[in-house]
Amino acid sequence: MKNKKTGLVFFPAFDWAISPTHPEREERLLYTRDQIFEEGVLDLPEIEEYAPRLATIHDIARVHFCVPRVQSQVTEAHLIAAGSATLLADAIVHGELKNGFALVRPPGHHAMRVVHGNRGFCNINNEAILVEYLRRHHGIKRIAIVDSDVHHGDGTQDIFYHDPDVLFISFHQDGRTIYPGTGFPNELGGPGAYARTINIPLPPGLGDETFHYVVDNLILPILEDFKPEFIINSAGQDNHFTDPLGSMRFTARGYAEFTRKLNPHLAVLEGGYAIETALPYVNLAILLALAGHDYSYVREPEWPGTMPENPERVARVQRVVEQLRNVWENRDRVDLDKIFGTGTFFQRRKHIYYDTDYIEEEQLERVRRCPNCPGYITIDSRADHGYGHPSRVFCVSIPFTACGTCQTEAYDAYEQARGLVQYQFVYLQDKSTDTFLAFDQDKAQEWVSEGPRVGE
Amino acid sequence: MYIGIDVGGTCTDAVLLDRGLVRAMAKVPTREDLLSSLLEALDEIMKGVEGELVERVVFSTTVITNLIAEKKYDPVGLILMPGPGLSPSLYRFPTDTHIIQGAIDYRGREIIPLRLTEVDQAAAELAARGYRKVAVVGKFSCRNHRHEKEVAARVLWNYPDWHVELGHQVAGQLNFPRRVVSTYLTCATREKYQFFVRSVQEAISQRGIKGAIFILKADGGTLPLESSLEVPVETIFSGPAASTLGVQALTPPGETAVVDIGGTTTDLALILSGQPLLASRGARVDDMLTHVRALAVKSVPVGGDSVVERVGKDIIIYSERLGAPYCLGGPLPTPTDALRVLGLTRLGDADRAREAMQMLGAPLGLSVAEVASRVTTRVIETITREIEAMFSRWEQEPAYRVWEVLQKKKVRPSTVVGVGGGAAGFVSQIAARLGCYPVIPPYAPVANAIGAAVARPTLQVTLRADTEQGFYIILEEGYQGKITERSFNEENALELAKEWLCKRAARHGLEDCVEGLEVTRREVFNMVRDWVTVGRLIDVTVQTRRGILYHVGAGGTSE
Repeated sequence: MKNKKTGLVFFPAFDWAISPTHPEREERLLYTRDQIFEEGVLDLPEIEEYAPRLATIHDIARVHFCVPRVQSQVTEAHLIAAGSATLLADAIVHGELKNGFALVRPPGHHAMRVVHGNRGFCNINNEAILVEYLRRHHGIKRIAIVDSDVHHGDGTQDIFYHDPDVLFISFHQDGRTIYPGTGFPNELGGPGAYARTINIPLPPGLGDETFHYVVDNLILPILEDFKPEFIINSAGQDNHFTDPLGSMRFTARGYAEFTRKLNPHLAVLEGGYAIETALPYVNLAILLALAGHDYSYVREPEWPGTMPENPERVARVQRVVEQLRNVWENRDRVDLDKIFGTGTFFQRRKHIYYDTDYIEEEQLERVRRCPNCPGYITIDSRADHGYGHPSRVFCVSIPFTACGTCQTEAYDAYEQARGLVQYQFVYLQDKSTDTFLAFDQDKAQEWVSEGPRVGE
Repeated sequence: MYIGIDVGGTCTDAVLLDRGLVRAMAKVPTREDLLSSLLEALDEIMKGVEGELVERVVFSTTVITNLIAEKKYDPVGLILMPGPGLSPSLYRFPTDTHIIQGAIDYRGREIIPLRLTEVDQAAAELAARGYRKVAVVGKFSCRNHRHEKEVAARVLWNYPDWHVELGHQVAGQLNFPRRVVSTYLTCATREKYQFFVRSVQEAISQRGIKGAIFILKADGGTLPLESSLEVPVETIFSGPAASTLGVQALTPPGETAVVDIGGTTTDLALILSGQPLLASRGARVDDMLTHVRALAVKSVPVGGDSVVERVGKDIIIYSERLGAPYCLGGPLPTPTDALRVLGLTRLGDADRAREAMQMLGAPLGLSVAEVASRVTTRVIETITREIEAMFSRWEQEPAYRVWEVLQKKKVRPSTVVGVGGGAAGFVSQIAARLGCYPVIPPYAPVANAIGAAVARPTLQVTLRADTEQGFYIILEEGYQGKITERSFNEENALELAKEWLCKRAARHGLEDCVEGLEVTRREVFNMVRDWVTVGRLIDVTVQTRRGILYHVGAGGTSE
């Protein structure tokens, strides 16, 4: 029986909400609880429920630059959601489970590397925390994240944009019609991680059939080539035909079939705000699919049967699929200098809007084009909260597999920024040694977080 | 004066308590005819005591457990309305199962209507196969029982003499498969249990006892015998609950591991902050999962009479019993023989005990004392491991709120309390391994009967209100009522639940225990649609105080 079970952490956070009437509130997983409990699925021998646990501050610091510090951006609920994902991952890596579902709140896929506040209902990125945790604690290198939320997983994309070992695939409703307005096929990753980011925008109103065309003809073949050691599904459920925020027409069964085909190690709940008409059914169907059970009897009350697709839109999707397959197949043959230029640093300016907290952020991100490693990253970030002076911080991130030169240069960059008064905080995130530094300019004080050693 | 009687598998134990002091106790063998053992035990403790002085009699019994284990009941057919969800092929119920159309959702709304022709067909097929008893259960019937009632009415219209049992009347909690099993077992045992209850009432009144008669439930609460007719299955597994309550009555409050070492099994239970720990889900009955609330009890298949054998270079303790220990004339060595050799018990013949150890140890070149200590160590290790596992399992219970996750703390027992025949020899070493104080309370051999005698009557009422749809449900009664006030809130819900509890108490003749009500669950969810609060879901559970009436042996001071 070993290795046959599906692990579940169900953490509905019944005492946590963004605000009383916000879609991300206490009630969100209430009906899912009722459905799962009433079905008796937790009594099935193939499903094992785990008690949640908290992620550590250090687990967060390994991924995010929280301004001014981790504790000011996360609540305990965030730590529990992220910790639950790492808890299940531990059990999967240790062979106790074949796969798992972190059915948790709050979600995280809009949270970027730098965190000034909440955007898209997210503060910290549960999947990204999981990836860095898997690398640090279990030595897993190649990881794929497939984001099935109706919104582009822009936070996850941002965090792994220059990471060649993390494949990020997101399909979502076309960004011209929905928050956050990004996720187009030309966003393919930085110079060191070209085509490790794949975005598939879908025209609104698309149903299961075309969704599975994308899965079969693009997502699964790419995954097969990439050969990830670990697959994570950012399981957003707002592509459902009843979702109030999205305009797609996927069904619970469509989601379950996708789960079966993708066969992820771990699904982590993201969005999905049709709390009565979709979530109870989609969550149940995904859980059954993970456990290898028949999900064909799961049917939402308003199930419309098969829906005719608009041929013009289907053709559009087919063209995108073809274009991206082409990109993927030629990824090692393209001239990166032509795309990214020939400088030592590749840099991009970003404007980031925090829709929940109304923060405007301006970023200058620079990544060193290094022949020996993915290169260190610096971010100069200025956030305007709409009151008082904007806060400005400088962040340096050293990748897990950094070379000696990049590491030395990165520490120099940190030291240099410490001397510049325009930065209120200066951060250094050294993933290669699992060390994090933060410097408070006003107090002229440095914090260090070294975290637990491997194996502790 | 209170009487407690525990009708166990091998012995029937009884005590007579007089204001917290044990006045008489008895231990008689349990015979096939439970009633005669019950009466014999009763007569023994009542020597010279007028029946009229007895205020209450509480007993725990295996009668339902045995009925189910031996399948001594009439066949029961199932008519189910599972609606969409899990594949029906995952349900494996041990009888003829008919699945018909019709579905209710989690808020009690009809999503698929019934088709009465399917009801007729299912009933006709059951009739053709000789069934006269049927359990009717729908998914989410605890949120709306309309379909169940319609199906039952239709079945009874066709077959007026059938016995039909409805899911929502048996179990109000969520979990459809467990509700099916609970309803099935209730339907199966009701008639036989009724017969049993009548004969007990008859026998006790013959002895001139006019006090109230109660029966212990698996969750450690008692019910008036008459009321237990409604919920026969809840009287299952009351034995372990009895000894746990006995320990609670005989020891000071705290974190305690209860170790009841019997002949073939050892039952473990936990008392945390002075209250026995309830299992988070319903009990497993005859390998089926039910909704029966029970104390968290772990039965470990090792006891004083377990068979010990040498296999190769190893000494193994088996989970079976093949008669008495060797020192008491049995056929094979047992842990009791090991205890005898080590001087930890005075049971049986010392020479025969040494002989038993000799048989085991000679081929391995081990001395009699070495073998004996190896055997006892094995037993102690097994039990210690299980106690640790129980505490970890308790810590691993899922939590659905932030504060629940944060308040979880590591709790470990401070005392290990031993009851039952084999306790004396093992408990001090088990306690030592766990870093606890060992306790063998006075009257340990009849702790179970004491537990029964002092168990409190329990009643609970769970109210669920849906203010958007304007109705409320009393889960335990299967009642659905309308909410008329527009401003119905949490406080109103609580008041209403208390009213229902008082009504329920009056019906069971338990008016006294409504004092000191406890609110065990209180949940309110605002239902927001399009950024506007359209209603509230309110869940409230109130219950009478759980636990024991008083501690025993300390002069009978009240709690």
